[in-house]
Amino acid sequence: MDYATLIGQATLNGLVIGAMYMLMAVGFTLTFGIMRVVNFAHGEFYMLGAFTAFFTYAYWEIPFVVCLLIAALTVGILGVLVEGALIQPFRDDETSGMIATLAISVIIQNAAVLIWGPAPRPMPDIVQGTLMLGPFSFPWSRLVVIAAAVLIFVTFWLFMQGTRTGRAMRAVAQDKETALIQGIRINAIYPLAFGMSVALAALAGALMGPVFSVSPFIGLTPMLKAFVVVILGGLGSVPGAVVGGILLGLIESFTATMFGSLVSDILQLLLVIMILLVRPSGLLGQREY
Amino acid sequence: MDASSPTLAKIDQPHGIRRHGLPMGLAIAVLLASAIVIPQFAANQFYLHLANIVLINAIFAMSLGLIMSVGQLSLGHAAFVSAGGYISALAALNFKVPPLLGIVLAGLTTGLVAAALGKVILRLRGVYFVLVTFLAGQVFTLIALNWQSVTHGANGLIGIPAISLFGFPLATRLRFYYFALAAFVLVFTFIWALMRSQYGRAFGSIAENMRLAEASGIDVSRYQIIAFSLGSGIAGGAGAIMIHYIRFISPDSFTFSDSIAYITMLVVGGRGSLVGGALGSLFLTPLPEALRGLAGVQHILYGVILLGVLLFLPGGLVSVGRFFKRGLGRQK
Repeated sequence: MDYATLIGQATLNGLVIGAMYMLMAVGFTLTFGIMRVVNFAHGEFYMLGAFTAFFTYAYWEIPFVVCLLIAALTVGILGVLVEGALIQPFRDDETSGMIATLAISVIIQNAAVLIWGPAPRPMPDIVQGTLMLGPFSFPWSRLVVIAAAVLIFVTFWLFMQGTRTGRAMRAVAQDKETALIQGIRINAIYPLAFGMSVALAALAGALMGPVFSVSPFIGLTPMLKAFVVVILGGLGSVPGAVVGGILLGLIESFTATMFGSLVSDILQLLLVIMILLVRPSGLLGQREY
Repeated sequence: MDASSPTLAKIDQPHGIRRHGLPMGLAIAVLLASAIVIPQFAANQFYLHLANIVLINAIFAMSLGLIMSVGQLSLGHAAFVSAGGYISALAALNFKVPPLLGIVLAGLTTGLVAAALGKVILRLRGVYFVLVTFLAGQVFTLIALNWQSVTHGANGLIGIPAISLFGFPLATRLRFYYFALAAFVLVFTFIWALMRSQYGRAFGSIAENMRLAEASGIDVSRYQIIAFSLGSGIAGGAGAIMIHYIRFISPDSFTFSDSIAYITMLVVGGRGSLVGGALGSLFLTPLPEALRGLAGVQHILYGVILLGVLLFLPGGLVSVGRFFKRGLGRQK
């Protein structure tokens, strides 16, 4: 394999996982920014999204775009319910909230093992064929993932910037009390924000289902990477999550190609610790008090 | 951590002990005496084994509680347990280091590593600390899994020797029980004394209100590093004790789900009290045995219990007694 192919492959793979990390990290950072909740169940919602896509696409053969919508909606609604019932009671206690999401994660994952079994299931590709560009060849199935992730993020960004609800969410993230005084109903914003956040995770899971396989344990790695990304980009910062996600994907892809995936994972942690030494609130984050 | 959450130092204040001085001392003496005597008569191997695991899990949960007493939640606790286990196992297998020395070595090394790590990551407040301990735990598992030449990877290390005291091997469950009991009492007394010292008061004030503590001249990060390295060091030592009992260790012996299990024990027992960790272990360690027919359900039940306690009994099981006492007091 020559250099150009190798670099092309590594870049493409980096962008694919980077796009997934971006979606995961944006959702993760959203719940933290708005609700100050660290959601340790984020990866389980990714897994649920992947399973939803698996059943709707591989079993029922519904068009993939519709599968994505179904995954986002069902998981999003589940997220709204979970927030209302299990996370809201810990609104003023960050530590208890974190432990509650750990418990939710344990319950969802083991319920999935109980219902669907632990074996990984392969999922068919969304599209066939490859795009040839000079010395590079890109499988369409990967390009579609990148394009879909970008489209999903742009939709999310427009929602946050352009709609009343999006503006209300950003206001709550900036200053809860002042937002309350302005008449923003926090009790409606919180479940919605959590639902949107886990819907983004579900979309990431649904998109990656055909790339990797689907099993109850697939949520851990993306969540781990989302942690790395938000630490790099700063907790609560959406631009940080986007830049950090894509950057991490590329770094991971290139270091894994060169040194193997173990070294790549260890390098990532060292990178995180080094960045935290220099900038304790992440690259683009604001100081947390 | 907010002001309403209980801390070790806040609940077990010295005057509280003095007030209940005599009955409390009596209760402890009776408990300890029965813990020593009962196994002599009821030498059921299965219950003895369970009791051993309960004692060691209690040490894990109490050491985690020590870290939590400065308002920091560690998600990498099992990694320190595992590291302690590997250190002592490798020392015993490769260099014929006596297990007892290995346990001390494991405790010291993990404590020092925690101090170094803590120096870096305890500058981070709250959430960042939690995330980094989680990542560090994952990386540790990865290393243990992939460093084949030393750890034998997923196969683990077998044939780890039992602890021997003055040339007297603790190879039976009953003999080990007394060792574990002694270790438990030692750790319990140590943390209890620590919480009553100047350190305990500083820990409590940090957990109550970090900024206020800092403004009052308490060196927050110093005390946090002390609590983190003591807690992790105790976990490492206890991990070594555990593997000299089980006589086997692999990367799967102590994983992230064990970290969650320790948190569950601590929260269910009561995070605000030293007894809480022990009580949580006593309640939750035997639970999987009771549910053996329902593999898989047991984890879900752990999660449900954890959520239920968080929602309805934030003080944990130890607060049940206090709850009743208050109820009785009102009736009078």
